[in-house]
Amino acid sequence: MKDRSSTNYQRSAWAFMGPGVAVVVIVLYLPVVYTVYLSFTEYGGLGSPIFAGGQNYVTMFADPAFLGSVVNTGIWVVGTLVIPVGIGLFIAYLSFGLKGAGILRIPFLIPYALSGVAVGVVFSFVLQNGGALSQALAFFNLPGADTRWLAEAPLNTIVMIIAASWQGIGVNALLFTVGLQSIPKEPLEAARIDGASGLRLFTTMIWPLLRPSTTIVVGLSIVNSLKTFDIVQAMTQGGPNRVSETLGVTMYKDTFVNSDYGLGSAVAVFLSVITIAASVIYLRRQLTIGTGSGTPAEVTK
Amino acid sequence: MRIRKVLVAATALAVSAALLAGCSATSDSGATTGTLKFVNDKTWDFKAFSKVSDKDIDIALDPSTYADQNAFVAFVKQSLRTSKAPGLFTWHTGGQLEELVDQKLVADTSSIWKKEVAAGNVAASVQDLYTIDGKQYCTPISVDDWVMYYDKRTFAKYNLTAPKTWDEMMQVAATLKQNGVDPFWSSGGNPWAFVWFQIILAGTDLKLYQDLSTGKASYTDPKVVKVMDVWLDMQKKGYFSDPGSKTAGETQMKDGKLAMIPFGTWYASSLEKVGLKEGTDWGVFTIPAIVDQGSTPVAIETAPACTTENSSQKAMALKYSEWWMGAEAQTAWSKQQGNLPFNPKAQAATQTFRDLSAELAEPDKYEFYLRYYEATPTPILTSALDQFTGFMTNPGDPTKYLEGIQSTAKSYWAKQK
Repeated sequence: MKDRSSTNYQRSAWAFMGPGVAVVVIVLYLPVVYTVYLSFTEYGGLGSPIFAGGQNYVTMFADPAFLGSVVNTGIWVVGTLVIPVGIGLFIAYLSFGLKGAGILRIPFLIPYALSGVAVGVVFSFVLQNGGALSQALAFFNLPGADTRWLAEAPLNTIVMIIAASWQGIGVNALLFTVGLQSIPKEPLEAARIDGASGLRLFTTMIWPLLRPSTTIVVGLSIVNSLKTFDIVQAMTQGGPNRVSETLGVTMYKDTFVNSDYGLGSAVAVFLSVITIAASVIYLRRQLTIGTGSGTPAEVTK
Repeated sequence: MRIRKVLVAATALAVSAALLAGCSATSDSGATTGTLKFVNDKTWDFKAFSKVSDKDIDIALDPSTYADQNAFVAFVKQSLRTSKAPGLFTWHTGGQLEELVDQKLVADTSSIWKKEVAAGNVAASVQDLYTIDGKQYCTPISVDDWVMYYDKRTFAKYNLTAPKTWDEMMQVAATLKQNGVDPFWSSGGNPWAFVWFQIILAGTDLKLYQDLSTGKASYTDPKVVKVMDVWLDMQKKGYFSDPGSKTAGETQMKDGKLAMIPFGTWYASSLEKVGLKEGTDWGVFTIPAIVDQGSTPVAIETAPACTTENSSQKAMALKYSEWWMGAEAQTAWSKQQGNLPFNPKAQAATQTFRDLSAELAEPDKYEFYLRYYEATPTPILTSALDQFTGFMTNPGDPTKYLEGIQSTAKSYWAKQK
C-alpha cells in the first residue's frame, strides 16, 4: 500500500511525461535560448559565434530598414484588425439567421484553404505593373491603371493586407457565426420586446454578448499579423529596397540573405518580446473583464 | 521503479546519440566510382549529363537542386560540417568562396589546376578566379562571358543592325522605343539589380570598377555619381523593361516586347527553352564600351563545382571535377547547355558561339573582368542590390542610394583592416 502514496504517483507521472518534456525542451526551449545567445554574438553561419555584447541591438535600432519594418508591422496589425476582423463580423452578422446562409458563406471560406504563399503568388500577378488589375482598369478606362501597386510604400503594404484579408475574412466570419449562434435567445427576445432593434440591438446586446468570440478573433489576428511573413515574402520579398518588410521578413533577410545571424536573432528576440507582450496584455485585459463585472480589484474583493 | 528509471535514461541517451550522429563528420571512403551526391542551385539538367559521366568514368550524379538561392546557401553552410554534406556542390567564386576556405570546408584542387593549365585545357586567367592565398579551390563547370542577346526578328523589322559603339546602341534603343518595343531588359532585386550598374561603370572606367570592389574607391565618388546619371538618363528615356515584372526576359523577347538582354553565355539555353532559335531568332554582340579604354571590357562569371573537405565522397568528387574540365566532358556539356566551353579544345555547339569565341580570342581587343556579383563582398553586394532596386523603382537623384551602399561598404572595409 505504501507504493500508492501520492509521491509515487508523481514519479510515475514524470516517467510518462519525461520523453515528451525532453522533446519539447530540445525542439522548442533550447532553440529559443540559443537564439537569445546568438543575438549577443557576431556570427556568419560558419565557424563559431563571437560574443559581441549588445552591439546587434544597437545596430538594429539604428537600421532604417528595421525601423521601416516596425512601422509596416504596425500597419499590418491595425489593417488586419480593421479589414478581415471588421468585415468578418459584418458578414457573420448580416448572414446570421438568413435562409441558406451556409451556402452564402462558402465563397468567403474557400480562400482559407489556400496557403499564404499561393495567395501571394496569385496576387503578385494581379498587382504587378501592367498586371491583371492594371489591364482591367485600363480596359474600363478607369483611373489607376498606371499605379505601381507593389512598388510604392506604404501602398504595397496596404494592398498586401487586402490580399491577406481576401483570405482571412472567411474564417473570421465563421468564428463570429459560431459566436452568434452561442448567444442565448432569451435576452435578445427580451430586448426586442423592449423595442430594441437594428444598430441599438447590436451595440447594446449582441456586441457585449459576443465578447468571448471577439477576444479570440482579435487575439489571433494580433498574433498572426505580428508574425506576417509568407505573403510578403511571396509578393515583394520585402522590397523594393526593403520598404515593405515586416519584422518576420527583416529577421529572415538579416539572417539568411545577409548571413548576419546575430542581427537576425536580435530581430527575432525583439519580435518575440513584442508578440508575447501584446498577447499577454490583451488577453489579460479581456479575460479579467470576462470573469467579473468590473476591475480586477473588485474581482478580488 | 528501476525499470522506469532505466527507460528514462535510455530515452535520454537515444535522443542525445541521435543529436550527436547528426553533427559528426565522416571521413573519405576513397571510392572513385558510384553515385556522387551533388547539391546545386542551377536549373541545368544534371541528370542528362550524369549519363555521359556514368559511361565515361563510372560516376553517376545524384543531383538535388535548390530553386531558392537563400535556402541553398543556408543549407550548404549548415551541412558542410555534418555527415549530410554532399560530395560536390555548386557555389560562387570571390568573397563567398573565401568564407568557406577560411573555415577549411572545401578541398584543395591545386594539383588538378596545375595539370589542366599545363595541358592547355583552361586559361591561366580563369585559374586566378579560383585562387585564394596561392592555392586553388573548386573547379569550373563553365566560364561565361557577358554579351548582349538581341532579337533578330525585331531588329530586322525596324532595319536595325547589331551596334558596334555605345552611341550606335543608344540610337538603336531610341528607334525601338519609338516603335513601342522595350530596348533593354532590366530587373530589380537579388540577383539581377547590379547588371546595368556593372555595364555602365565598367564601360566608363574599368579601373574605378575594380577600385570599388576592393574598397579603394567610394560609392559617393563624383565619378560613380556620373555613372548613375547615365543610368538615370536611360531610365528617363524609357529604355528599360519594367524592373518589377514577374515575366521572364526571354518570354518578353519571345512576345516581341523586348529587344536586348545582357547576360552570360549560359543564357542561350533559356532562350531555346521558350522556342527562340539561335541564328534566326536571336544573336549576340559584345557590349560596347562608353569611353574608349583601349580594349573593350567584358564581364565574366564562372560556375564552380566544389568538393567538400570532410565528405566521404571526397576522392570521387575530385575525380569528377577533373573530368568535367576535360575536352570531352566540356564538349558534351556545351552541346547540352548550348553555351560556350572554356576548354579551347572543346567545341561550342552553335555557330553563334563559335563566332563569338573567335571574336573574343582576338588579341588585345577585349579585357575580361569579374562580374559584380562575385567581385563585390557579400554584405556590400546585398546592400547594393537593395539600393539599386530602389533606384530603379523610383528613378531620381542617385545620391541617397549611393550613400546607403557606401555606409555598408565603409563599415565592411573598416573591419577588414
